[in-house]
Parts: sequence; structure tokens; C-alpha cells
Amino acid sequence: MNLFAGALVLAALLAVTVGVGLALRWQQNRPRRLNPTEVVDPQRLGAESLGENATLLQFSTEMCGRCPGVHRTLGSIAGDRDGVMHLDVDLTHRPDIAKHFHVLQTPTTLILDRDGVVQTRFGGTPSRSAVELELARVTAEAGGA
Amino acid sequence: MPESHAPKGIDPRGPRFAASITAVLLLIATFLALVGPSTARAATLGWFTYQPLDDSSFAFVADSWLLPQLSVAQRASDPAFVVTLVIALLFLWSVLSPRTAPWGALYRRAVAPRLAPPTDLEDPRPPRFAQGVGLAVTSIGLVLHLLGLPWALPIATAMAFAAAFLNAVFSLCLGCQLYLLLQRAGLVGRPAAV
Repeated sequence: MNLFAGALVLAALLAVTVGVGLALRWQQNRPRRLNPTEVVDPQRLGAESLGENATLLQFSTEMCGRCPGVHRTLGSIAGDRDGVMHLDVDLTHRPDIAKHFHVLQTPTTLILDRDGVVQTRFGGTPSRSAVELELARVTAEAGGA
Repeated sequence: MPESHAPKGIDPRGPRFAASITAVLLLIATFLALVGPSTARAATLGWFTYQPLDDSSFAFVADSWLLPQLSVAQRASDPAFVVTLVIALLFLWSVLSPRTAPWGALYRRAVAPRLAPPTDLEDPRPPRFAQGVGLAVTSIGLVLHLLGLPWALPIATAMAFAAAFLNAVFSLCLGCQLYLLLQRAGLVGRPAAV
């Protein structure tokens, strides 16, 4: 391969990588609204109870570099609001929970409403505003119903 | 941090600084591999072995890759191989002794003092795991290159480059995703103690 062709392949590699990065970042801030069918049992996750109004359920592993950052964001969001609880579950030694919730990446964040029903799912590291917006929607819906 | 047994935290900007340098080195290695013998055709040999009566052998030789025809020493002296070997050894260093690895040390000595102190500390285990993934990918490329497989080296360095670049620029961690998949396949981590 001559120098020009090599440079072309390199430029294509850069473009694809930037594209993948932008797509992944866009997807991380996109909440996926789920069919409210699953009710989470807090005992199974090693917690006493869930939040009164909503629960931010985070799944992490020991080898996850972005999980502590998401942990701080979610913890501070929950701390600012009454009745909102942040629950961080380490899946490193619990493949059964990972399988049950179909977790393929960490961090994964679920927003549960006051009844413990899974309403929203975020894969990856969502921004603070994306989580706050979705949390407001979940708590407002539950209050209005 | 939820785990009480977690080791001492590190500045999370350190691994991203190291990933930017690694990404540049991997980009150089990919370019050298693309223009080197790894992707070269052995077209000239076809002319020498050309025999009018034996069309199939001509087609095979003229269409074949250069790399398998080189000796192992020639494959190992490819500049792309040397650069990738250095990168792989740096990965190995970061896995064995993250505290003394050169880019981390450079960050703590020269970069960190010029920045504001970190607002949060990070668990050092995930970046170390990511270095292990980088070591595995580049090592596979190096071994296949030595065995004479064309394109193995640039593909391996391009994959490692993509991971390092996403980490440095987008703060995305492919290792985190990979870890859970490996764990669910039962390859790493311990099963639930029920």
C-alpha cells in the first residue's frame, strides 16, 4: 500500500471512530422507556426498601471506570430530592442479577417509580440533565395517576 | 464508593492522558503497518516465476501476499512490528505496575501539578483491566504477524486505537462493557455465593 492509500485508510479509521464515539454518546443520553411490567424486589438486590417516590437503580462492576462518576451524579440527584433513593448494585459477583435484568454494559441505570416498577433504562453514562428530566417525568406521572 | 475493600483512588484524568498518548502511538503503528509488508502484494515475484504453460501457479504467486514469503527475522524487523511491540510492552508495564508506568508517571510529574486538584478519585482497577485488554489485542496482532498472516498487524492496532481514542476523547470505556460480557460468559469474576 502506498503512502497516499495508507493515509486514506487512516482518515477512514479516524472518521469511523469519531462516528462510533458520537453515536455511543448520543445513545447514552437517550432514555428507553419500558413497558411497566417488572416490579423490582428490593430484598433480592440486598436493600431494605425502595425510595418513596422513585428509585435510581444503578448497576456497576469493579472493573467499570465510569461507574463511580455515575454513582456520584445519581447520589447527588437523589440527595436533592425527598423520597428519591439511589441504589448501586455491584454485579461483579452477581451474574444472576445481570442476567435477570439483561445488563450487557455497566453502568446501566433503571428508574423505578414509587411502586418499584421499572419505567426507564439508561445504558452507559447519561448526563445529569437527562436523568433529571426523566426522573421528573416518572414522578409526575405517578403523582398524577 | 460502595466497596470498602477498594484500593486507593487515582486521579481519573491520568488514565485519559495516558490513553491519548497511546492512541497517537497506535495511529503511527497502524500507518506503518498499512504501508509496510503486512499489506504488500508479492506482485514482482509473479513475473520471475511466470510460466506460460502453468497459468494456475502464476495466478497464485502473482496474487499472493508478500508477508508469508519473508523470513521471521524480516517480519520482526518491520518498523510497524517494532513500534507495536514497544506499545505492547508499555501495556504490559501498566498491567504489572500501574504506579510506575511511564505515561502515568509523566502525568503526575508534569501535568497534574499544573491542573486543579481532582474533584473525585477513581478506582485504579478498571484502567488496569483496560490496559490488559490492549495488551491482549496488540499481542494477537504481533503473533499473527510473526506467523506471516497479512493484515493482522494493522487490524489489531486499529482496534486498539479505536478503544484508546474513544477513552481519551469521549471518555467511553469499552473494557467496562467487555468485562460484563466476559463475566456473564463465565470467563472472569466469581459466580454468586448463594
